[in-house]
Amino acid sequence: MRTPVDAPPRPPFDPELKAGLAVVGGMFPPTITPDLIGFMRTSYASAPIEDTLRERRISRADREIAGHRGDPVTVSVLTPDGADGSRPGVLFVHSGGLMFGDRFSGIDLVLDWVQHLGAVLVTVEYRRAPEHPDPFPREDVYAALEWTAAHAGELGIRPDRLLVCGASCGGGLAAGLALAARDRGGPALCGQVLDYPMLDDRGTTPSTGQFDGIGVWDRISNETGWTALLGDARGGPDVSPYAAPARATDLGRLPPAFIDVGSAEIFRDEAIEYANGLWRAGSAAQLHVWSGAFHACDVFAPHTAVARQMIRARDAWVETVLGD
Amino acid sequence: MQELLGRITRLDPEASLALRVIACFDELSVGGVNTRGLLAAAASLAGCVAGFGQQRPARTVRVTPRGELADGPPPDGPPAGATPAGPGTCVWLERTGPAEANDAIVLERLALAVRLRHDRDAGAPDARRHLAVLVDGDLPADRRRTAAAALGLSTTASYRVVTAPLFAVWAEHPGGPEDVVPTAHGPLHTLVVPAATAVVQAGPSGVGVATTPDHLDHSFRTSVVALRLCGRGATRSVGADAYAGLVSMFAEEPAGAHHPDVQLVAAVDEHPWGAATLDALTTSGSARQAARALGIHHSTLQHRLEIITTTLGFDPLDGLGRLRAGVAHLAWRLQTSRVLDLPAPTAPGRPGEPEPVGPGH
Repeated sequence: MRTPVDAPPRPPFDPELKAGLAVVGGMFPPTITPDLIGFMRTSYASAPIEDTLRERRISRADREIAGHRGDPVTVSVLTPDGADGSRPGVLFVHSGGLMFGDRFSGIDLVLDWVQHLGAVLVTVEYRRAPEHPDPFPREDVYAALEWTAAHAGELGIRPDRLLVCGASCGGGLAAGLALAARDRGGPALCGQVLDYPMLDDRGTTPSTGQFDGIGVWDRISNETGWTALLGDARGGPDVSPYAAPARATDLGRLPPAFIDVGSAEIFRDEAIEYANGLWRAGSAAQLHVWSGAFHACDVFAPHTAVARQMIRARDAWVETVLGD
Repeated sequence: MQELLGRITRLDPEASLALRVIACFDELSVGGVNTRGLLAAAASLAGCVAGFGQQRPARTVRVTPRGELADGPPPDGPPAGATPAGPGTCVWLERTGPAEANDAIVLERLALAVRLRHDRDAGAPDARRHLAVLVDGDLPADRRRTAAAALGLSTTASYRVVTAPLFAVWAEHPGGPEDVVPTAHGPLHTLVVPAATAVVQAGPSGVGVATTPDHLDHSFRTSVVALRLCGRGATRSVGADAYAGLVSMFAEEPAGAHHPDVQLVAAVDEHPWGAATLDALTTSGSARQAARALGIHHSTLQHRLEIITTTLGFDPLDGLGRLRAGVAHLAWRLQTSRVLDLPAPTAPGRPGEPEPVGPGH
């Protein structure tokens, strides 16, 4: 009587992370239904960033660019103080299930690359679903890539050293961006960092059904997010691979990918499958599956041993790709 | 995590952060997390360096809020404000400036967790808190009695145990001993209230049956069953008394006990009215009363009864059929219970949750 009749077994959470969930659950419930979108927009809104930037000696310039259909979209350019000469560039795509979060959500870990690797970071306020369904979010992100590449000289970015990075839905958008840039002959990317990416709207993998009502971002939350983006098209035959990169049939000729994911989250299987697809198609990919990690544990509980290993492995990869 | 605690407070100024801190350290202890991990959690919760000092052999560990070992030479001995953890050990927070709201509870729980971690005699009598001992039926009666005395409970008075998940919303907080108790369903906020308190203003929550302190372990188990009978996203409380002896029976059955009629009830439950109707039939004296409880016309209920009788293969209002349907219905609800899986943070202006199925208060 302790578990529902059909509850599948699931890998355990790491003990430190499980303890963290006692706190995380208070602001990020495991199951997000459409009626919680408003709550999440409050709960997941980024904290004021000015103090952080000052402490890290990073300066910020906000710019308005032409997004999808030419509508105005804001990007922030974050540059290490006193930077001169050409530097590596990072285009950051924020998390938030396609429905919440803003361009500074979860950015702390990426600011390390500005501070320690001297990178110039561009982060885009793409428009969110459900008010702005597909293709608004991904085309706003694509517009930010084109803008960044076109203004590389002015921004101090080396055109041959531009990386895209995204977490969760931002990871999915980043993967879609790499596909679109390849197919459209767009700006070259030197790498794609896909942190526990949201890649597949179909929700049919075993891991998707393993974490109902527990952890961060369960099957229902995922359905809420994909439905907000795709409406009735979710799971059907007409979903673009740029929106749901798991749909892509050609994963060749893509920039080297870094993919990390937790064993205890619904995106485990689609992340592994995507890495496998990249390898099969002859692309380069590095895949880390962190045992006992819940979704985005590096953002919510960066003090834990698992999260620190996860961050260290990612930073090391990024340093090899971006470092002079 | 200090930042997350701040967010939770901004979302709900009434939210109990102390309970989350307690639950966090309970999980760390249960999970066997080491000293550095415990210090990392404390530092992360407090937003400043947390330290551990041991006299013999001399050892100091200091950890930052990001979980890294703190730079710089260790201080000469423990700083002022250090809290003893166990024999010859202490812990502290390196707060510059005035203490913050959660410092005391973080330090208290860190000290307890460090003591448990360094306790050579694991499972020693003081290793668990009184309330957890009081409600643990696997322990001998005299230990539970000692715990009851330590909690100030009268041996002859009657009490109930109330349990609620950490995300429960309390409109009114009853007095009495309370703590977080680890269970198979995760850490539960657990309170002991006088028997007269049959209703609590907290959702979701379960109120156990009334007993003397010697049997509060049973009351605890019935409260957990009652809690699990709360509907998903519940805003209300369920009392074990509402189902008479049935909840006591479920409270004592082994995990995974087989109930042959559950699949039949599952079929009834596929009707949108199924669960609510079965519940009304289980708890009402007659079909007419059940119709009134459901706010539907008697003929509507009769129609549903016919469908239920056909589906179940027996009449749920006839003799033992009533008991049979009631047992299967509750077994099904417990098997499919999601109330403890679904933290329901609330924010001002947030749309209401769907009403739960079942008698509430």
